[in-house]
Amino acid sequence: MKNLHIILGVTFYFLLSTFYSVAQIETPGKKQTKKIMLLNGIAHLGNGKVIENSAIAFEDGKITLVANAAAIKIDFNQFDTVINISKKHVYPGFISPNSTLGLTEIGAVQMTHDYAEYGVFKPHVRSIIAYNTESKITTTVRSNGVLMAQATPRNGIISGTSSIVQFDAWNWEDAVYKKDEGVHLNWVGMYNRWKGEKNKNYDKSIAKLNTFFADALAYSKDNNYPEQNMRFEAMRGVFNGEKTLYIHANFVKEITEAINFSKKHKVTKMVIVGGYDAWMITDMLKENKIAVILKRVHSLPSRQEEDVYLPYKMPKILHDAGVLFCLENSGDMEAMGTRNLPFYAGTAAAYGMNKEDALSLITLNTAKILGIDKTCGSLEIGKDATLFISTGDALDMMGNDVKAAFIQGRMIDVDNHQKKLYRKYSQKYEQK
Amino acid sequence: MKNLFLFIFILGSLISSAQETFNVNGAHNKIHNYYAFTNAVIHIDYQTKIENGTLLIKDGKIVAAGEKVEIPANAVIYNLNKKHIYPSLIDIYSDYGIPSIDKSKKRSYSRQAETNNKGAFNWNQAIKPEVEAGQLFKVDNKKAEELRKLGFGTVLTHQQDGIMRGTSALVTLANDHAQTVMLKDNVANHLAFNKGSSTQSYPGSLMGMIALIRQTYYDVDWLFNNKKADEFNISLNTVIDNWELPHIFEANDKLSILRADKMGDEFELQYIFKGKGDEYQRIKELKATEGKLIIPVNFPKAYEVSDPYSAMNIHYSAVKNWELAPYNLGIVSKNEIEFSITTADLKDKKVFFKNLRKAIKSGLSEENALKALTYSPANFINEYDQIGSLAEGKLANFIITSKTLFAEKNIIHENWIKGKQYIISDYNILDIRGNYSLNLGEKVYDLKVKGEPKKLKGSIEIVGTKDNKPDTNKISVSVNVSGNLISLSFNPKDDFEKGTIRLSGTITKNTIWDGNGQLSNGDWIKWTAIKGTADLDKKKQKETKKDSLVIPRIQYPNMAYGFDSLPKAQTMLIKGATVWTNEAEGILKNTDVVIHDGKIAAVGQNLSFEGATIIDGKGKHLSSGIIDEHSHIAISRGVNECTQSVTAEVSIADVVNSDDVNIYRQLAGGVTASQLLHGSCNPVGGQSAIIKLRWGSTPEEMKIKEIDGFIKFALGENVKRAGGKARFPQTRMGVEQVYYDAFIRAKEYQEKWDKFSEIPEKERLNTPAPRIDLELESLLEILNKERFISCHSYQQGEINMLMHVADSMGFTINTFTHILEGYKVADKMKKHGAGGSTFSDWWAYKFEVNDAIPYNGAIMHKQGIVTAFNSDDAEMGRRLNQEAAKAVKYGGVSEEEALKFVTLNPAKLLHLDHRMGSIKVGKDADVVLWSDNPLSIYAKVEKTIIDGKVYFDAETDLENQKKNRKEKARIIQKMIAAKKGGAKTQAPNSKKPKLYHCDTVGE
Repeated sequence: MKNLHIILGVTFYFLLSTFYSVAQIETPGKKQTKKIMLLNGIAHLGNGKVIENSAIAFEDGKITLVANAAAIKIDFNQFDTVINISKKHVYPGFISPNSTLGLTEIGAVQMTHDYAEYGVFKPHVRSIIAYNTESKITTTVRSNGVLMAQATPRNGIISGTSSIVQFDAWNWEDAVYKKDEGVHLNWVGMYNRWKGEKNKNYDKSIAKLNTFFADALAYSKDNNYPEQNMRFEAMRGVFNGEKTLYIHANFVKEITEAINFSKKHKVTKMVIVGGYDAWMITDMLKENKIAVILKRVHSLPSRQEEDVYLPYKMPKILHDAGVLFCLENSGDMEAMGTRNLPFYAGTAAAYGMNKEDALSLITLNTAKILGIDKTCGSLEIGKDATLFISTGDALDMMGNDVKAAFIQGRMIDVDNHQKKLYRKYSQKYEQK
Repeated sequence: MKNLFLFIFILGSLISSAQETFNVNGAHNKIHNYYAFTNAVIHIDYQTKIENGTLLIKDGKIVAAGEKVEIPANAVIYNLNKKHIYPSLIDIYSDYGIPSIDKSKKRSYSRQAETNNKGAFNWNQAIKPEVEAGQLFKVDNKKAEELRKLGFGTVLTHQQDGIMRGTSALVTLANDHAQTVMLKDNVANHLAFNKGSSTQSYPGSLMGMIALIRQTYYDVDWLFNNKKADEFNISLNTVIDNWELPHIFEANDKLSILRADKMGDEFELQYIFKGKGDEYQRIKELKATEGKLIIPVNFPKAYEVSDPYSAMNIHYSAVKNWELAPYNLGIVSKNEIEFSITTADLKDKKVFFKNLRKAIKSGLSEENALKALTYSPANFINEYDQIGSLAEGKLANFIITSKTLFAEKNIIHENWIKGKQYIISDYNILDIRGNYSLNLGEKVYDLKVKGEPKKLKGSIEIVGTKDNKPDTNKISVSVNVSGNLISLSFNPKDDFEKGTIRLSGTITKNTIWDGNGQLSNGDWIKWTAIKGTADLDKKKQKETKKDSLVIPRIQYPNMAYGFDSLPKAQTMLIKGATVWTNEAEGILKNTDVVIHDGKIAAVGQNLSFEGATIIDGKGKHLSSGIIDEHSHIAISRGVNECTQSVTAEVSIADVVNSDDVNIYRQLAGGVTASQLLHGSCNPVGGQSAIIKLRWGSTPEEMKIKEIDGFIKFALGENVKRAGGKARFPQTRMGVEQVYYDAFIRAKEYQEKWDKFSEIPEKERLNTPAPRIDLELESLLEILNKERFISCHSYQQGEINMLMHVADSMGFTINTFTHILEGYKVADKMKKHGAGGSTFSDWWAYKFEVNDAIPYNGAIMHKQGIVTAFNSDDAEMGRRLNQEAAKAVKYGGVSEEEALKFVTLNPAKLLHLDHRMGSIKVGKDADVVLWSDNPLSIYAKVEKTIIDGKVYFDAETDLENQKKNRKEKARIIQKMIAAKKGGAKTQAPNSKKPKLYHCDTVGE
């Protein structure tokens, strides 16, 4: 019985509240060493499975046990802390791909924007450098269960190189989960965005893009190039399997062109980002093993006569067709809106998907597409203990109530400045 | 002296009407002959035809037209040999002869508060009623010829620039001195919803234009009734002088016609409307305006649809309009609306008749087409006594045609203007086209002559043998005709002749040619050609075959998801649902609701109702319809009038756009009513419109009647940054002063009127009345508690400020909208009596929303403030139920109260809760049937009902999708056929309708 704490429901909150009262500003946690057990929660594993009465344990930041509590015999002596989370829900931390969280703070204040570098072809520009671990937005996102993101640059044809970060860090070096993992290519629009007319420069731009890739590929074959080219150095990974090429494209013909383009230039792994029309060409996507990071579910249809709920129904269509895909949140107010990522999965479930499959769209599928599924994305033994506990169904606004969260086993503070202001001003009115 | 003038006058009229003031170079060349056109089919007017008559003209006027007309001796006689004579056509929407406006002076991004048109004119550069086309007009023979070729003789021309554009001049299309070409100046007033070349900032939106025109009319009225006014204003005086002339309004699109008409009604003014060809989409309402129409025939080109993916980007509505546009004139005509046809908007005027024939095939009668080109335009401008028919005494403006005017192969031979001949296609040129037997001695060739009368193409088929097989060789023959002389040359390369044969001869009658020719060896040979009887007219039979007219389906609105016919109020009994009453009863499980006559008729258990359609509500939830306190959908051409800090005179109610597919999309999200607000770029914005989402109805029908008016105010960053660097205010400090200034002015304005009305009635007639100021009128309504404020606001300081302004001025802020720091001043708001309509969780998009918290709604609610969640966004607007659920998540509001954030509470804020916002007997049947708890992410809308009419039904929606797909595919097949038939096409275009937010500047 050394150091054994079996903490039941009521005391669980007590533990958390003492934790929070200590932390004035949300402070990164220490490396986890102790053995923690979460007992009797409803575990949504992220891989489509649910364990109604679960036992989940982790140590040194890694999950050591995922089991049906009733089906195994547990020796509580082995754990430093056992938390009874009876009837609460446990989820793997949600992951937000194609995100500018940490790269921007205030929409209308240009000086807080660090996602769009000058230039057109800039694969050498790396988002991780600008990633701000002190963003006030991130803490409000964590408290809805989103614990990781892909910090992604914007603008130009090749916007730069992204990295994957976790949300419990002192600085960007701590935050980085997978560094410089992908190059982002904004496919040239066939139509003018505002006027809707055909883009007259389309062919020219694509020709430039072809030249750039042909040069980059040739460059990558030579490890001792006479003069170093930073752009092409950054492109090497796209041809040797170290980096994913993310092509942002929505119109069906643009997606098709993007697929042919990446084949032509021997890109090792390509992922479509946006993919508004992807549901029309699922066979082609499957055949070429192309995954999709699907445009924000809460969007308007882009064509007048389309199903008014089409963006809500796309996940079901892609899922039924067997395409590997996950959900993203780029668009208006994307950074602060990241906290609504769970509800996109909820909407996907409302419009036909199984709830657990919908959950995969913001957990395991995302991890697979970003190439981090060996270590995160689901509650499985050996993976990171990046997970959280919610009072109810975290995909539903009324259920999403994050009581505790862990990133790589470290318990994080799910408080944020908004909650503080809430408490502060609630007090103001109580004073009277 | 007087008598002298009288004498000259009488003498003048005795001698001749043809005198002129200008100098003549050389000997005068006056001809007072009669011209008689005999053996003609004379169309005296659009409904009178003489099969074989004579038209007699002299001195540019018609002397007689009839079956038996005595021809004087000094007459030149033209035997027209069954050709047709029509009165020449009239176009009253033209800019012929008016110099084009210098548009190089582009509007700059910096603000231009005042007009660049310095002088004693109107304050606004786009209001220039003083412009007279008569002063600007110059003859332009090249342009005139283009129109003469189409059979036009007279046009009404004006400078098409600005909102009030001045008056037009009636001119003929003769190539002559301007003094004789112009028939009359100052014929009609012209207006448009278009700023044109004006560089002045105001107005920056359609609603601003409407306000500006209205204010101008009030100013005119004030000047007219107030001779002692201390202002001399040429522009306004001109409006007064020309008031009795016709007023022609280029509204361009059916909804703007309705807008202009409503404005006209206010001033007892009936406009004539220039439309754009989409009138069929709202024909009933256009008829009700009693306005006459001027309609172009510029039908849209078919789209290039060979690539199905690219074709996806063509809007359904554009495809529908392509098919229906040619039916427009027929539909207008069938509805007995008076209309005239114009060549305006046609980039290539040559397609005028082609398009007109298309319209005739699509239901317009030839008689009405002719009427719309002769009688009606003349009549619209009160000039039918001069032009528009061939009645005695009218101008000798007529055309001679080979067939009836609208016939497929009709040729306009001559266009006579004021008795002067313009030959377009000389009918004396023999038409020798046909098949001939060409005999050269013994040798006979089959000759075919095709092409245009002036550009003939001949060919001969020579049958020979090649490689022991029969072989036909087609050789070309050059055919030249000059008068009655003809020459041919060709090289048959056959047994008869290896070189070129050259023939010359005479055409006798039309059918026999003969003469001599020379062979390649120099031998002369006699030849004849005789026309065959089997002629080219095989096609004739096809043409006469008439299809019975089937007009393609018109949808309301004519776009995707538009209704074929509008829904009707039903009697419904929804059984066994969970009913969110929003009343003291709370959420009732397993409850029945009866809807009858558009109202909630009963709420209870085990109800029955005669004739009611039973709807199974088991497992489902019934709630009151969602009301969006802050929406910017369904607005035409601009949500912001940014150009001044106070624009209380403008109103979104003037620019509601019933053709926005987002109305339907929001119905699919359970929204039944929305307040369409002006944007937030100035401290006092415009008035709002409150509509029910009655999809398919007109803007007027959508507006909720007999309710309080609202107006948008705005604080903070948008106000500071919009309108450029040169507009006051630039800080929150300045915003306060704008309000004080505005309300103090409004109070003084009230005092002026009060004083005026205190004057005894007799004296009042001699006392100048104050000027009606629409901006101050609107502000006064606020002070008089007839109009209520919804104020865009974020930070506590400015909220505090506005409440102080209101308290000291004696009014209350009805609603703070957005109000993201409401939680900081909830106590003060409560004390003041303001409501809060906020976002559930938006923040971080501007510096001023850095302290926004999602708990805001919960705190305000807890402090007793009527709290609502709004969208300000077309996307979020269709899932406001989810946003309401966030009040449960952030701050623990009960589910029952949370749903009220998007139903009953906005109804209260909009003063609609006496009839909307809860499920209570007697209230409007605006309800939504949900598949699940409406606050749940898993809830889907099954039915959205407004006034007892089902506007959205999930099952019907699926059918509609299929129907849309089929309909578009059907029309696309038609486009492909049209392209094969030679129709020109345009590239697919995916232009998206603009989605407005609070801070959207411009149209």
